[in-house]
Amino acid sequence: MNWPDLSMSGQGFYIWGAYAFSLIAIVWELVSLRQRKRALLQQQSSESDSVPASVLRRSANETSS
Amino acid sequence: MNIYKYASPAMFYPVAGKMIPWFAIPAALLFAVGLFVGFFIAPPDFQQREVYRIIFIHVPAAWMGMFLYVLMAIYAGVGWAFNARLSSMMASSLAITGAMFTAISLVTGAFWGKPTWGTWWVWDARMTSTLILMFLYIGFISLQAAIDDPRRADRAGAVLALVGVINVPIIYFSVQWWNTLHQGATIRILQKPTIRGSMLAALLIMLAACWLYSVAVVLIRLRCIILEREQNAARFAEVHV
Repeated sequence: MNWPDLSMSGQGFYIWGAYAFSLIAIVWELVSLRQRKRALLQQQSSESDSVPASVLRRSANETSS
Repeated sequence: MNIYKYASPAMFYPVAGKMIPWFAIPAALLFAVGLFVGFFIAPPDFQQREVYRIIFIHVPAAWMGMFLYVLMAIYAGVGWAFNARLSSMMASSLAITGAMFTAISLVTGAFWGKPTWGTWWVWDARMTSTLILMFLYIGFISLQAAIDDPRRADRAGAVLALVGVINVPIIYFSVQWWNTLHQGATIRILQKPTIRGSMLAALLIMLAACWLYSVAVVLIRLRCIILEREQNAARFAEVHV
């Protein structure tokens, strides 16, 4: 097993910069998805549950518009 | 069992929810293993020394950017041709992850280019066609966001996705068709790879991790899109399926 030094033979800025950007991009995607899901669930819970079951069942079985 | 019922977005909603952990957890594990092999097992390159280690994120991201675009175009085309809502929603869901991977490939490529070529960017065929891919993703996402009616947005997006798919073989073969600064393919399906085994292992593990991550994230986003578009039906299916 090789233990690489953090400076990466003077090329650390490029290597860690590339991985840092990738990490930021992935974290951004996950956080934005989480926020989107949370907002949707909040909206869903605030809406009334008064939709008739027959309407829900009909739309659940539709595959095309 | 009628599997066609899962073509209904609302019926697929709970199934997608059950599938997500099966992709997300292995993705996290494989990212850890791939980075460990890439940084601790794989030796430095004899020419580029340490900086070649960017390959372990750059190459899988570039492959995923291209692959997800083709997949997005197929789903968008199927959604358009057969009026299948779930396919169109899948295309919308794929776009952001594809754009993210393309952005990663462009930026990590720039970080690799500076120490190896002496420049962050050149307008060579591979890099320019990858930038066009990024613009196609942005165009697809913007077009869908700009149209209020989801069905019209899906159709407009499908046209753009199908026209833009011609760019993918151009990216792939650009290093063969034109004399570019970008290096040629190191891994080919029918030929022996020209890189060391541990480097190849790290690359393939990271590719698998990116694959699994994409499936998990696309399914999470697909569930959000289904909820946005057909909240009532999804609620019914979640409770009754």
